[in-house]
Amino acid sequence: MKSSGRTERLVTVLVSLWLVLFGVVPLLLLVATSFFAQDPIDFFRLAPSLESYRQLLDPGYLQVMRRSVQFAALTTLLCLLIGYPFAWYTSRLSRPARVLVLVLLMIPFWTNSLVRTYAIRMVLGSQGLLNQALLALGIIDSPLRLLYTDTAVVLGLFYLMLPFMILPLYACLEKLDYRLVEAARDLGAGFLQTLLRIVWPLSLPGVYAGCIMVFVPTMGLFYVATLLGGARQLLVGNLIQQQFLNARNWPLGSATSVVLILMMALMLTGYWLVLRRLAGRRRQ
Amino acid sequence: MVHYVRFLLLGFLLLPLPALAGGKVYVYNWTEYLPEAVLNQFTEETGIEVVYSNYDSNETMYARLKLVQKDGYDVVFPSTYFVNKMGREGLLQPLDRELLPNLAGLDPQLLDKPYDPGNRYSLPYMWGSTGIGVNTAVIPAGEVTAWEDLWQPRYERQLLLQDDMREVFHMALKIKGYSSNSREPAEIEAAFNLLKKLMPNVLLFNSDSPRLPFLAGEVNLGMIWNGEVWMARQENPDIDYVYPREGANLWVDSFVIPTTARNRENAHAFINFMLRPDVARLCVEENGYATAVLAALPLLAEEVRSSPIIFPPAETIAAGEFQSDVGEALPIYQKFWEQLRTGN
Amino acid sequence: MKGVCRLGFFLGIFAYLYLPIVILVANSFNANRYGLQWDGFTLQWFLAMAGNASLMEAARHSLFVAVCAATAATLIGALAAIGFSRYRFPGRRLFQGTLMTLMMAPDIILAISLLVLFVVVGISLGFWSLLLAHITFCLPFTVVTVSARLQDFDPFLLDAARDLGASELQILGRIVLPLLRPALLASWLLCFTLSLDDVIVSSFVTGPSYDVLPLKIFSMVKVGVKPEVNALATIMVGLSLVLVLLSQLLLKEREGYGPLR
Repeated sequence: MKSSGRTERLVTVLVSLWLVLFGVVPLLLLVATSFFAQDPIDFFRLAPSLESYRQLLDPGYLQVMRRSVQFAALTTLLCLLIGYPFAWYTSRLSRPARVLVLVLLMIPFWTNSLVRTYAIRMVLGSQGLLNQALLALGIIDSPLRLLYTDTAVVLGLFYLMLPFMILPLYACLEKLDYRLVEAARDLGAGFLQTLLRIVWPLSLPGVYAGCIMVFVPTMGLFYVATLLGGARQLLVGNLIQQQFLNARNWPLGSATSVVLILMMALMLTGYWLVLRRLAGRRRQ
Repeated sequence: MVHYVRFLLLGFLLLPLPALAGGKVYVYNWTEYLPEAVLNQFTEETGIEVVYSNYDSNETMYARLKLVQKDGYDVVFPSTYFVNKMGREGLLQPLDRELLPNLAGLDPQLLDKPYDPGNRYSLPYMWGSTGIGVNTAVIPAGEVTAWEDLWQPRYERQLLLQDDMREVFHMALKIKGYSSNSREPAEIEAAFNLLKKLMPNVLLFNSDSPRLPFLAGEVNLGMIWNGEVWMARQENPDIDYVYPREGANLWVDSFVIPTTARNRENAHAFINFMLRPDVARLCVEENGYATAVLAALPLLAEEVRSSPIIFPPAETIAAGEFQSDVGEALPIYQKFWEQLRTGN
Repeated sequence: MKGVCRLGFFLGIFAYLYLPIVILVANSFNANRYGLQWDGFTLQWFLAMAGNASLMEAARHSLFVAVCAATAATLIGALAAIGFSRYRFPGRRLFQGTLMTLMMAPDIILAISLLVLFVVVGISLGFWSLLLAHITFCLPFTVVTVSARLQDFDPFLLDAARDLGASELQILGRIVLPLLRPALLASWLLCFTLSLDDVIVSSFVTGPSYDVLPLKIFSMVKVGVKPEVNALATIMVGLSLVLVLLSQLLLKEREGYGPLR
């Protein structure tokens, strides 16, 4: 084992260095930037300041925070509501059918997300397909306002994020021992009881993983709000992008992202605690 | 393993080699502000390849320029008030007049202005105005004649506004009777309070190409540049341009060469080409803005030359106000602009 | 009855996922500029796209970065996963934690933190900054994909090889890498797609000298409906179709596994 250890150690050290240089150091720099003073000409001034954090408490910024949490939560809920039965049905299919469904799910998932957002826009526009169809069917007399609304943003986010919910759910449900469900049925449990008492608790790790995988990236997807929401600053991602690439207020942009990172850390810790508790319960 | 390597090699071979740098010019311009045909013509005549990209506001352009510390853009088109700021901050390099023989054809009225005395850093490209775009098929002509009219409650969630701080503040400052270049914090705050009331009427912000939401039927009323209406009318003559009673926002955009440019000579060649009367004519006819090249005017088609959308009458110009630098007041604008954008 | 419901549910979801893409593809062949109605079949938008020199250059840049980033990330990631699985070292948990953070963090966090790094260190924004950023966000995915594969290894295989006198390099070249091949190819494809798909990170870390396709598409799409974009989008849909099928074929051996992202 001794001789082999050397190359491996070298490789591990190099890769760790990479991660430190491009993962840890930038994050620390970001946190540092959030404590610098703002400057009208440069991106920041090398002087300590808590101004950016104070500014985050302004009603406007608080509202952006609240709104993006709402949007992300709504998207996550929608994905869960649709994704759960989808993943469950898929896990019960025969093998070839399952592969087909998964491949069909992967194709849009691997297609450029910008292209798909753009496609959604073509459907929702005033003269888009949905309005044309509704008009032709006589359901409405004048085109509905769909594009550039909050609904459009949530529909777009749901469209992009759905596979992120389904895949972890599926991975979890697929491993579920179906004999448990059959046993519950045999013992007279109804559909709802089986779902709530057997399937749901056993799928919780997948549910949490899916929720995190949808919720966290959603907050940063600024281009969806730009393209479908009419460029009004709806999400935290838009705010950060604006501060970095337009207003040149890096401390404020960094402070916003530090808050985002803290939120994410909180969620991951919660996930980890839940997993540990679940594992503990199973052992008993 | 062998397959793997072969697969990778194949991947590399499929990629054409990146063209050699040298014969290139990096142009960074407003969206829809230069006909593609002109770029192609430039490449055909000079052999210099144009790498073209777009921005939608002076602020975005400025932030990008500050980020790029070397190998930057060669030609950029800031508005007057940014020429001033960028010159002051050392972001621009002086133009070499020897390489720009065509500048003789420029309109003397647009030269040697306070924002760039002696045209050390900039030469004017085009000028135009920001007014109100109306789709007369939906909103009868004459219903909207002033900036003030946009505040009417019946236009709730219907307006298009430019995604541009100074443009949006112009409206409110003008309604209040102030200069749109005001540096007075109290005046700017009054304008902000007025704009807050406008926000419920706003549907979207777009300063890339505001005509497209009009053409797609998403909006029928909003702020727009004159040239965008000119272009829109080629496809839908119902879209009309209104010079607001309080005064339109008048602006001039100029060619500049940033200090970070890497193809200085090609940049000059490009600017010189753009100053040629026949080229300037193509730009006016396609994009619908007034050119600074006087010699191009006689070449224009009659309907272009007589269009009030492109060449407003003297009294309209007198009623409007040209944009200029607001100096230290800029952060005040910035602060209120953000409040406006985050609050909706 | 229940089967019909289930089929309807699947069809509904797939209709929602595919309808926009189908319309997009159809419109790229539609002679009507705005796609409001069908005005006949045309290939003119594809020609217009091919004639757009800046767009084509951006496409070349994108493909080049995607190939470089995928190759580098797969190599580094695979070595990391191997070292990781066979060597216990202090800070292993930190290593794992960093990887997880990189993978879970919203792209925008990675983008701005790298931007701050590049500006502070003085790396000019362009090809190299873009490549470094892309390798970084691909890395966690390759490590995870390869690690998953390594866990299925029979550890005695390596011991047997060593007992028979194989050198470390021989073990790597003759046993580990061939066994890892499907995972390596799959992670290469995944990284390639991720790199080609990325808007958020690229919009922060690239410079004028290296415009990439997603940024071009973003600026075109922001403007409005443009038929050239439809043509380009159709090509990108076709590309992802090929990549998915390819990766599924490669991963056939490992049932139930989907490259997560």
